[in-house]
Amino acid sequence: MAGSAASPALTMAVATGAPASRGGVWQRAWRVGRRRPAALAGAALVVLFVVTALAAPWIATTDPVRTDWAKIRKAPSWAHPFGTDDLGRDGFSRVVWGARISMQAGVFSILLAMAIGVPIGLVAGYYRGALDQLIMRLTDAWLAFPFLILAIGLVTILGPSLVNATLAIGLGATPTYIRLTRGLVLSTKEEDYVQGARALGAGDVRVMARHILPNVASAILVQATVAIPTAIIAEAVLSFLGLGVQPPAPSWGTMLNAAQQFLEQAPWMAYWPGLAIFTLALSFNLAGDGLRDILDPRDY
Amino acid sequence: MIEFLVRRALISALTLLIISLIVFTGVRLIPGDPARVLAGTDADASGLEEVREKYGLRDPIPVQYARWLGLALRGDLGESIRTRTSVAWTVAIKAPITLELAALSLLVAIALAVPAGVIAAVHRNTFWDVLASGVSLCGVSVPNFWLGIMLILLVSVRLGWLPASGFVPLAEDVAGNLKRMVMPSLVLGTGLAAVLMRQTRNAMIEVLSADYVRTARAKGLAQRAVVVRHALRNGLIPVVTILGLQMGALMGGAVVTEQIFVLPGFGRLIVEAVFTRDYPVVQGVVLITASSYVLINLLVDVSYTVLNPRIRIRGAADGG
Repeated sequence: MAGSAASPALTMAVATGAPASRGGVWQRAWRVGRRRPAALAGAALVVLFVVTALAAPWIATTDPVRTDWAKIRKAPSWAHPFGTDDLGRDGFSRVVWGARISMQAGVFSILLAMAIGVPIGLVAGYYRGALDQLIMRLTDAWLAFPFLILAIGLVTILGPSLVNATLAIGLGATPTYIRLTRGLVLSTKEEDYVQGARALGAGDVRVMARHILPNVASAILVQATVAIPTAIIAEAVLSFLGLGVQPPAPSWGTMLNAAQQFLEQAPWMAYWPGLAIFTLALSFNLAGDGLRDILDPRDY
Repeated sequence: MIEFLVRRALISALTLLIISLIVFTGVRLIPGDPARVLAGTDADASGLEEVREKYGLRDPIPVQYARWLGLALRGDLGESIRTRTSVAWTVAIKAPITLELAALSLLVAIALAVPAGVIAAVHRNTFWDVLASGVSLCGVSVPNFWLGIMLILLVSVRLGWLPASGFVPLAEDVAGNLKRMVMPSLVLGTGLAAVLMRQTRNAMIEVLSADYVRTARAKGLAQRAVVVRHALRNGLIPVVTILGLQMGALMGGAVVTEQIFVLPGFGRLIVEAVFTRDYPVVQGVVLITASSYVLINLLVDVSYTVLNPRIRIRGAADGG
């Protein structure tokens, strides 16, 4: 993790300016985990959801899109623990497969936001000047569009689908990473080990990639863990509005959309998808809080 | 201070200009003839010609932009493809409903978040703090549209206490209006409350350890007086900024909330417009929401630059 020392003379600066070494991080993880069982439980649940998403074909053996007219809106039973929906599809199967879509949308949108935002923030913070000013004004304007309004606008242009919803959510989250990275670079740039690397003749790209980026990575990672639940909820909202995943694909948002029409006759249709979104988002938030404690002990 | 305010206003103006550029570009990215996009699929040749003429669609793009911006600044945002009424008028009719929802939600959020945040900060690391933080974390994690559906299920379907949907104008029937606004504002307000509570707690913790609070305590003031009269007043300043920044989330949340409770506001308007490919309406609503967000935050910044001596002086010292 620590910025690699270019010469022995710099070792001191590296040791004081950079985050703790690998062993330190694991030790702190252990301490935080013991002190905060909720964070540990959150992390475990996130892992469970990831496994569910990956192993969906083996966990939910019933086809999530197969309709069965003989089983329309049946209450939960042994054969269908989460009941069936208005087209006779198995609720459990759809919730399990829905984890895939939610995870995809949540993780890929934030990866996209980081892939665009972090390099732009790095450049803006490193070079400053007119370029920085231009980037920051654009970022301010971009941030003025409420997340959901921006997503709706983008989906209007691109058309509704899972890929476009993911794109829209990712682009909506991008300015946050530009701002965050830029701010972190501004404070890291003046550190002794960065100045030292420069004095030793390291080029701009090398300084950014080898010395600055590793030291701002942990804060960006923490931001990502708390951004993923927001992205997951955003995907559910877009799909709920009909602007995301299109039927018959099993997304938690589209399932809730269908459920709203049958609240009196089949309330179970509304319980499970919502509970799944809530649990997944809560797990990420709990795990993110713990991660912040581990990686950034100064900021509680 | 004047210099700071002018600078702040100029930056906002620039931001607004860039927003208009983004929206203009966005509409041009919609595949197809721009005249067709703005006039709708059932417009005839003369209708298309009219739109081409109005927006100067044969001119170079920068000229088109200037023309479009000029029209927008005069309040002409085009006309709805579906209803053939002006976009500005459509928005003006729908806005009060969303504004009422937003105001009530804000009230709910502040009423829940500020006391909870203060209690959590004063009784830091006790059961109450853990409880408040836990509830707030759940509030951030729960999708508010699901909360809305569950509320409808419990309060309307099971208990039959409140109507599940529909809208009665405030001017016609105050009680009927509020009855239908209770659940939507609870749903929208609790999400905001979760964020606000965390900020209030953190801000209060910081303020409670400040010297002047210690002085107030040392001269023998009661805990209540210290917290309410001394700490809260300063503690709430950063919370107001967060409130301004949360306006975007509030507007976004209103879209979903109106959809669930069938309230004919701004949010329902934009969703309907997307589905009917009513591009002028989408464009108008997006432009207006983004601009109001910038203006609201400008107002928040200006008002507390004027009110808070500390920021006033610091703002003048570093010129921004």
